Amino acid sequence: MRNRASLSRSPRSFISTAAVVLAGALALSAVPAQGASTPGVSATEIVLGMQLPQTGAASPGYNKVDDAMRAYFDYVNSKGGVYGRKITLVVKDDTYKAGLTVSTASALINKDKVFAMVGSVGTQTHISVIKDINRRGIPDLFVNSGYSGFYTDPKKYPTTFGALGTYVVEAKILGKHIKENYSKNTVGIVYQTDDFGRNTVEGLATAGVTFTAKKTAATFIAGTQGSGLDAQMQQLKDNNVDVVVVGAVASAFAAAVSSANKIGYKPAQWIVISVGADATTFQTILGARGIAPAVSAALLAGTISASHAPSPGEADDEFVKAFKKINDEFNKGPDKRWDNNILQGMNIGYLTTSALLGVGKDLTRPGIIKYIEANAAKLPSAALSPLGYSTKTHEAFTGFWIGKYDAATVLKPIDATRKVWTTDSAKGAVTELKYTRPAIAADALPKVG
Amino acid sequence: MSKAKNHSIARKSLRRTIFFVAAILFAASTFDAYNQAQLALVLILFIGVLSVTLLTGISGQLSLGQGALMAVGGYCMALLMINQSYSLWVAIPLAIVGSALAGLLLGIAAARLTGPYLAGTTLVIALAIPTLANRFMSVLKGDEGLPVDVGYPPVWFTNLFGEPSYEQWQLYVALPFAAIALFLASNILLSRTGRMWRAIRDNETAAALSGVNFSRQKIFVFVVSATFAGLSGALYGLRGLVGPSVYPVSLSLLLLTAAVLGGIRSIFGAFIGTVIVVFLPDWIDAVLHQFELSEQVSNFMPALVSSLLLILTVVINPAGVAGTHLHKHKHK
Repeated sequence: MRNRASLSRSPRSFISTAAVVLAGALALSAVPAQGASTPGVSATEIVLGMQLPQTGAASPGYNKVDDAMRAYFDYVNSKGGVYGRKITLVVKDDTYKAGLTVSTASALINKDKVFAMVGSVGTQTHISVIKDINRRGIPDLFVNSGYSGFYTDPKKYPTTFGALGTYVVEAKILGKHIKENYSKNTVGIVYQTDDFGRNTVEGLATAGVTFTAKKTAATFIAGTQGSGLDAQMQQLKDNNVDVVVVGAVASAFAAAVSSANKIGYKPAQWIVISVGADATTFQTILGARGIAPAVSAALLAGTISASHAPSPGEADDEFVKAFKKINDEFNKGPDKRWDNNILQGMNIGYLTTSALLGVGKDLTRPGIIKYIEANAAKLPSAALSPLGYSTKTHEAFTGFWIGKYDAATVLKPIDATRKVWTTDSAKGAVTELKYTRPAIAADALPKVG
Repeated sequence: MSKAKNHSIARKSLRRTIFFVAAILFAASTFDAYNQAQLALVLILFIGVLSVTLLTGISGQLSLGQGALMAVGGYCMALLMINQSYSLWVAIPLAIVGSALAGLLLGIAAARLTGPYLAGTTLVIALAIPTLANRFMSVLKGDEGLPVDVGYPPVWFTNLFGEPSYEQWQLYVALPFAAIALFLASNILLSRTGRMWRAIRDNETAAALSGVNFSRQKIFVFVVSATFAGLSGALYGLRGLVGPSVYPVSLSLLLLTAAVLGGIRSIFGAFIGTVIVVFLPDWIDAVLHQFELSEQVSNFMPALVSSLLLILTVVINPAGVAGTHLHKHKHK
């Protein structure tokens, strides 16, 4: 009856084996310490860290952002780097599971000794590490999340800066458009039940667009869109919703359209928050469900969305031209098809390089945070809106323009001329923004510092 | 059982625990910050794997939902720390009580189930965590979760031992709980209770004929296992966040994988299995680093290798790493 497997081992044997295993772990995992006084910065290198879902349900589309950032950094390195230092981007896959994000952040901080975290993707996952990153004083730059809670109180998270306009700002701007153009329609929403979705609902409500639970508001748990959104679409169809707002990621928008298509539901208008409306991701996901590109392009056509940057389909835009060229030449990722994700990754690379150049040769962690807070106006980017960084807020872009996808899956301004709208993440009014974006240099390198 | 026998068991368990603590402290002193954090994770998950060892390995009840019980412990602790401002040293014991109650409810239901039915039920509970977190949004905060961490050491600690790094403090918080868990698990396995559980696993009818009330014991196993899982879950949440994405279904499968790889009927196996699953990605990374493989390949390698190890273990050496010596011993 007695289980000798569990009891026959002597303590000495236990300890010696445990010691061997642990020593092995140490030998294989240990990395030599770096001599630089500022972690991640040496005379020849700046090491940056990033975590994102490279695999798993939440990865489609977002798993291209890191390759685009690395491509831009490789381009900068090919031009001599930043004050002679090459930029190295270390990327960890957290599969969008917060338990793993804690471990990958620990590896980036303690093993790879990064100078700063840059462009990390994901609201839920970033929540699990943001406090620790800030406590250590590590710059947490240009986070790929529009969750306003990360940025609107710099005293809470002094080292964290956004890379997107907040979902509240974007939803308020879209809400104004909905109020002005669809007052006679039944407007409904499908949103993921997390900060992203709730921020969207909050912004729309501030603009005066409200919904009724289980009638005009259909919800789903973030990450479950892989199994389809049939029930949600059926609910909106049954309640005669003819304008559907989507506050969710691209894989969810694709699932919503696919489900609506399946049940014969054809709302007059889809309106999608920008991060959910990437054309390539949309078509890739529908393609995996057996829908041909021509059909998915037709399904996307007419969808309204917003953007803080030019559309990737605007071939004449000088930033699009420059970034596209760098992408073609330097992107070594498995999917380098030009799209919103690549444009966003390139722009974060450009913005990061700007900040590193702006700080100067004496690069320190407090130095770069102070510089970004004080010099938002000097930091160039591809966006058609200025950066909002200051000591009072770490929100990124404060303006969005509204567009509609054409048959070639290009987001075009909804009116003949593009108007950029701006507001805040609180109760401020939506007003038109007059902003002239600084031109990109011929060599596509930021001229700062 | 005589008092002398009980004391002997307690002494044996205590000796093991003291050796364990000494070995961990020695290893930690030689580790860098990253590996100290990894070692803290080993200690945390070791407690969770022990819950699988007791439930599945010793009493023979297959659970695929230990992650859900971990979540119960995590949420109880986080709510007490955030809403009641309790220190973690108070919140964790109370969280253990909460998870024990959850284990009691689960045990009452599970006492009537066996094999795949029990596995399916526990799996569904693990799958329900995100739904529950979003259903009770105002309390559990949905996907956003509840941010908690180990905070800073008290003044008396820094006065006595100096200022530890954040990783060291994570380790020092986890170590006493892991030591207590080891002591209790060892005591249970050496005692009459452990023998009763093994009797239930091997043959319920024979156990009943020997006077074992197997329904009551099965519930008791669930309560004890849930206590271990809840403690592990609370400590796991203290790494930064308590939320649905912290306790996915894959966490339950990870615990089971660790238990099988190390040896599902052994405490030593639970520890070795945990070391393997925690450090395996680093070992693979160190090896793959030489080959410059694409991310598409390297990202999947830890899951692939652990799956292969699991299959090989089940086919070639079902007793796991800790069971290897048992076979040799038997053949002597």
